Amino acid sequence: MIEAANLVKRYGPHTAVDHANFRIENGEIVGFLGPNGAGKSTTMNILTGYLSSTEGTVSVDGLDILEHPIEAKKKIGYLPENPPLYPEMTVREYLFFAGEIKKVPSGVLRGRMARVMETVGVQDVSGRLIKNLSKGYRQRVGLAQAMIGDPEILILDEPTAGLDPKQILEIRDLITRLGQDHTIILSSHILPEVSAVCRRVLIINQGVIVADDTPDNLAKRLLGGSHIILRLDAGEGAVSDVLAKIAGISGREFREPQEAGTVELVLEAAGDVDIRRDIFRAFSAADIPILMMRSLDMSLEDIFLHVTTTDAAAADAAAIDSAAAAEADHVSTGDGSDNSDSSAGNSSGEEGK
Amino acid sequence: MIAILKREIKSYFLSPIGYIYMGFFLLAAGIFFLFSNLFSQSSGFTGFLGSILFIYLFAIPLLTMRLFSEERRQRTDQLLLTSPVTVGEIVLGKFFAAVAVYLMTLLVTLMYVVVIVIFGDLAVWETVGSYIGFAFLGASYIAVGVFISAGTDNQLTAALVTFFSLMMIWLIDPISQSVPADLQSGVISAAALALALCVFIYVNTRNLYVVIGAALLGALVITALYFINQDIYLGFIRKFLAWFSLNKRYQNFSMGILKVDSLVYYICFSGLFLFLTVRLIEKRRWN
Repeated sequence: MIEAANLVKRYGPHTAVDHANFRIENGEIVGFLGPNGAGKSTTMNILTGYLSSTEGTVSVDGLDILEHPIEAKKKIGYLPENPPLYPEMTVREYLFFAGEIKKVPSGVLRGRMARVMETVGVQDVSGRLIKNLSKGYRQRVGLAQAMIGDPEILILDEPTAGLDPKQILEIRDLITRLGQDHTIILSSHILPEVSAVCRRVLIINQGVIVADDTPDNLAKRLLGGSHIILRLDAGEGAVSDVLAKIAGISGREFREPQEAGTVELVLEAAGDVDIRRDIFRAFSAADIPILMMRSLDMSLEDIFLHVTTTDAAAADAAAIDSAAAAEADHVSTGDGSDNSDSSAGNSSGEEGK
Repeated sequence: MIAILKREIKSYFLSPIGYIYMGFFLLAAGIFFLFSNLFSQSSGFTGFLGSILFIYLFAIPLLTMRLFSEERRQRTDQLLLTSPVTVGEIVLGKFFAAVAVYLMTLLVTLMYVVVIVIFGDLAVWETVGSYIGFAFLGASYIAVGVFISAGTDNQLTAALVTFFSLMMIWLIDPISQSVPADLQSGVISAAALALALCVFIYVNTRNLYVVIGAALLGALVITALYFINQDIYLGFIRKFLAWFSLNKRYQNFSMGILKVDSLVYYICFSGLFLFLTVRLIEKRRWN
């Protein structure tokens, strides 16, 4: 368990972190999101005891990081944004040193090193100098360093930054595996990564934590109920008549039709009511074919955009529009053509769920 | 601490800097030995040791420049400071690593002693004293270098500032000989010193009352001493500067005199600078 209470960090007049409060329970994988310069790294540096907060406290399993630094730091493994590597050492020498300063008993250090190197996949390069390693391997050695003390909590600052797509997938898998028996805080500005790995998201903007929830709940909250996108083979007038008979619709909006002779619209249902069955029955009674019906999900991109844009109202509209646009894009190109845009739209739509 | 000490010593010889230091020092010492002892067929070894003291002005910055500046540049200080070790352990580990390399190199010069023992008469106790003095004097120089290295993330800056600082320490003796020693200048410099102390207190506490209190106390003490014991102001600057004179205290050792107060002085001097290093590193975390 790691808890931040009223964390404030000021650099002169600039407030990098502004009264951040959160509590991360054992076994959680939490994504820490925010635009560049939002205070992600600063917060992580405070959590790990590298920086001191101007106000507020950090406690790790009830131990204050400033009052009991040795005990608290033993429980944390930290991978900073730039892996803290000594280029003149070999991987093995480096991990041995990291194990020693993390107070790993010398009897188990060799075994621990072998296990950690296997987990992150650096045993092939263990005898090489760190300065000769590629960025991907350096990142893994940095991760190995964070794990060598066998900490309960792993704090990873942009663990996939600068990696190629294959390596990103590998690191992501690794983090998911580590999440089974670790508490993980992971920062990123790459959203699919966070939605793929994390069950909870903290979004920080200009030093303030603006959202703290699961990606699903965030989407629900922002959309204010569930949204359904419909494509019907009829005229607008006929559709409006049928809609008037369905209870539980709190809003509707006609959109640009994607197919000639059809009507396309977004319906908003109040609260958590599922109105899809009612819609089906009403339109089938009126003999209007439903060509498409799907719920409109908000991807993490949209949530992110929403909560990190200061003009909230404009962002709200933009977020819903872009969510709908992603859906539309997905639908319109979903006829078997395999272009990259559709797959991007698809994946963001899937991951938002 | 032991882990950091081991890594630092290893790191001196994984990078060229350890070899550069040893090579430079031993080359210069060899040249001095060649001219002061071999060519002149002299067995006066303390003279030789006194002259290699001069080499340290250039060599110590090489030894200390990267200790902390390089950690900051490479961001490896994030590993050290988020590990379960105290800042004190980190500073001591690095300090003793530099001292170890320094002593290792110094031990190589023992072969000159062997040469003198074989071909001449060695002044045994002066030599022993000189080596003990060297160990402590070098440690004090290194402590200054460690402190300066923690203040920057650039090795070259650290090396240059260390060089100039050591040069100032060297020049203190000649400077203190030529400063005015009369009553008036003594009082003025004591007042200036008190003022500087007040500024230091203000910068650190930002508390005006404390500073005013300190200023009044300082003024009171200076005036009281003026009427009670004027002698204290005679040669005040010289006495003040003498506190910082590391080299003067070395003279006793080279005469074969083991003075405990000099040893205590060197240990306190090193301790003060290592303490300041710890404070500097901890202060940076708050800014």
